[in-house]
Amino acid sequence: MRWIMVLLALWTARAAQRLSLTLGKGKGSSLPGMVALKIYPGILRWFAGQSRLGTVMVTGTNGKTTTNNMLAQIINSSGYKVLVNSEGANLITGVTTAFIRSANLWGKLDCDYAVLEVDEAAFPTVAARVHPDTVVVTNFFRDQLDRYGELDTTVGMVAQALNNLNGTKLVLNADDPLVAQLEQKSGLKAQYYGLDPGSETTHVGAETREAKFCPLCGALLNYKAYNYSQLGDFKCHGCGFERPQPHFRAHSMRQTGDLFQGEIDWQTRNFGLKIPARGVYNFYNALAAVSTAITFNVDPDTAAHALVSYAPAVGRMDRFDYQGKPVLLNLVKNPTGFNQALAALLNQDTLQDVLVAINDNAADGRDISWLWDVDFEVLEENQPRFNNFICTGKRAAEMAVRLKYAGVPAEKISIHNNTERAIDAAVSGGGKMTFLLATYTALWPVEAILAKKAKRVEGDAESMPSVS
Amino acid sequence: MLKVCHLYPDLLNLYGDRGNVLAFTRRCSWRHIPVQVYQANLGDKIDFENFDFLFIGGGSDREQTLLAADLSRQVDSLKRAIEDGLVVLAICGGYQLLGQYYQMPDGRKIPGLGILDLHTHSGSKRLIGNVAVEIELAGKKIKVTGFENHGGKTFLNGVAPLGQVLSGNGNNGTDHQEGARYKNAFCSYLHGPLLPKNPALTDHMISLALERKGMDSTIVPLDDSFEEEANGKMLERLGVRR
Repeated sequence: MRWIMVLLALWTARAAQRLSLTLGKGKGSSLPGMVALKIYPGILRWFAGQSRLGTVMVTGTNGKTTTNNMLAQIINSSGYKVLVNSEGANLITGVTTAFIRSANLWGKLDCDYAVLEVDEAAFPTVAARVHPDTVVVTNFFRDQLDRYGELDTTVGMVAQALNNLNGTKLVLNADDPLVAQLEQKSGLKAQYYGLDPGSETTHVGAETREAKFCPLCGALLNYKAYNYSQLGDFKCHGCGFERPQPHFRAHSMRQTGDLFQGEIDWQTRNFGLKIPARGVYNFYNALAAVSTAITFNVDPDTAAHALVSYAPAVGRMDRFDYQGKPVLLNLVKNPTGFNQALAALLNQDTLQDVLVAINDNAADGRDISWLWDVDFEVLEENQPRFNNFICTGKRAAEMAVRLKYAGVPAEKISIHNNTERAIDAAVSGGGKMTFLLATYTALWPVEAILAKKAKRVEGDAESMPSVS
Repeated sequence: MLKVCHLYPDLLNLYGDRGNVLAFTRRCSWRHIPVQVYQANLGDKIDFENFDFLFIGGGSDREQTLLAADLSRQVDSLKRAIEDGLVVLAICGGYQLLGQYYQMPDGRKIPGLGILDLHTHSGSKRLIGNVAVEIELAGKKIKVTGFENHGGKTFLNGVAPLGQVLSGNGNNGTDHQEGARYKNAFCSYLHGPLLPKNPALTDHMISLALERKGMDSTIVPLDDSFEEEANGKMLERLGVRR
C-alpha cells in the first residue's frame, strides 16, 4: 500500500513538473515536492531512508548553500554518489523535489549520501521526517526576522528539533555561542570546528552582534577576540560556558590575491586548506565542509584538495564584463552578509558605481529595517572612491534614505524604479568598476537583464563574498 | 548643544532602531545645531534630567528583562525628567517597559517602570506588517509609516495615543490606536525605523528639545525628497491617500 502511494505521488509530481515546464512557469524547484507531499506525506521519509551511507542536513543563517555544495563536492570527489538539493530550494518542498528528481521510475534512489541544505525555520519539520545521521550548523544571525519572530525563537526551534532526534551526530561551529550551545541543549554528541582569531579576520559589524549574553544562563559573555559578528573566543563568567575546544582548529589564515588559505590541526595531523575565494566567512564554510567530510572518514588531504577548484554557486558572486569594465553581482540578505559585501567594495581602490536592489517580498523578509543594522556609515569617510549609488527595487527610496543618513551626499544617490534603467545607469556610470548588490528576489531579475548587456566571466567569479 | 542619550545600544538593537538616533542627530547636524550622543550601558548611572533627547529601543525578551532590572534602579530620575518635558522616543519593548505591567499568558504580571498609565498583555499571535498612522503634531495632521512586529497588545488608560491607525494593527489590533503620547514622551510600535522616513515627526521632536532647553526652536526646512518618496510609496501600497 505504501509503495503504491509513493508511486502515485512520484508520478503525479513528475507530471506536474513537466506541465509547469511546458507552461514556462518557474524553475520548478518546489512544485513537484509540494504535489508529492500532498498526495503522500510519508514520501520524504521513504526517500531519506534509502541513502546507503547517510543523510546530512546543513542549516544555519549564512553559508548554508556554500557549505552544502562544498561538502557535496568533497564527498563526490572521494568516489561516492551524492544527492544534493538545488540552490536555495531549502524548504520541505525543495528537499522533497531533490529526491523526486533523483529517484527512478519505481521510487528507488541510487545514492551513498544525501546532502541537504535546510532553512532554519523549516529544519524541525524536515528533520522529523528525514532523521538525519549528521547535522551541520554554521551560525545564527538575524535574518528576515518578521518571518521567524526573534532570533531566540529560531534557535530554540532548532534545539528542540535536535533534542527529538536519536543518535544524530552534530558538526558545530565552536565560535558561535548560539550554535555551540546546541550540544548541551540537544544531548547529542558534537564535533566542533573553529577558527583562531588572527590578523586576517575582521571586526566589521560589531554593532550588530547577536549574542551578548550567555545563551545558557543569561550573564554577559566575555570575548578574548572576535572573528566577525559574534563569532570568536567567548567565555561566560556566570556559568562557565565557553568556546569548546575545536576538534578541527584552523589557524595561520592569510589572503593571497584571490586565494584564502590556512592550516588545520586535527588530532595529531596538520594539513593546509586553500580556497579560491576572499574572506574569512568563505573559509568558515570550507572548514565546516572539510570537517564534516573527515567525520565520514574522508582523508583530510583529499578533502582539502577537492576545494582548490571550488566554483561558487551561480548568482552568489558573479563576475561580468561590460565593454571592458568589471561588473560584480552579489546577493545581500542580512546585515552580516551586507557588511561583508561593503568590506569587498572598500577593498577596491578604483572609482566605483554601486547599484543596490532592495525588495521586500516574503523571501526577502517583509521588514527592511535590517538595512539600518548594516554599517553603511563606513561609506561616509570613503566617499571619494564612489561615483554613484543607484537604488532600485520595491524599496528603492528607503535604501536612498538609508544611504543619506549614513552620510553619503544626496547628489551621489539616485532612485531608478525601472530595473533596466537602473542597471544601465550603473554599468555605464563614470566609475572603473560596478558592483550590483541585490536581495533574494531582486537578484534573478537583475542577473537576467545584466546577462543580456554584459558578458559573464567564467572561472574568475570569486572575488566577492558569498553570504549564503 | 543638544545631548542625546541612546539607552543600552548594545542590548536594544533589534530591527535597526538605532536609525532613530541617527535621524535625530543627522537632522540637527545638517542645520548646524550642535548635538552629542551619549551611549548608556548596563550599570551606568544616568542623570536623565541632564539630557535633551532619550531613545529607548526594543530587545528580545531576555535582554528586555535585564534592562528592566537596571532601569528600575533609576526610575525616579527618569520619571522626574519625563514630567519635566524630556523629549523621549520609546519603541516597541521600550514602550511596553514605560507602562504599568506586562501580563504573561499564565496570568503572571511582570511590573514595568510604571511611568505611563498603560499596560500590555501577551497576545497569542504576533502582530506583524506595514502600518500607516495619522498623527497630529502642533495642530497639523501628518501620516507616518513603519513596520510593526510585536507579540504584546498594549492598552492605554490615562494617556493619549500617538495617533490613529489608517492601516495595520497598532497597539492591539482592536481600538485603532497606535502608540502613546505623554507630555514630550512619544511611544510607538513602529520600526522601519520610525524617524528617518518620517522627518516631520523628527523635526517636531528636535524643536521640542530646543524649546525645553530655551534655545531658538525654529526649524529650517531641509530637502526631504527621498524621505517623502519612501513614505509616499508605502502609503500608496497600503491604499492610504497621501
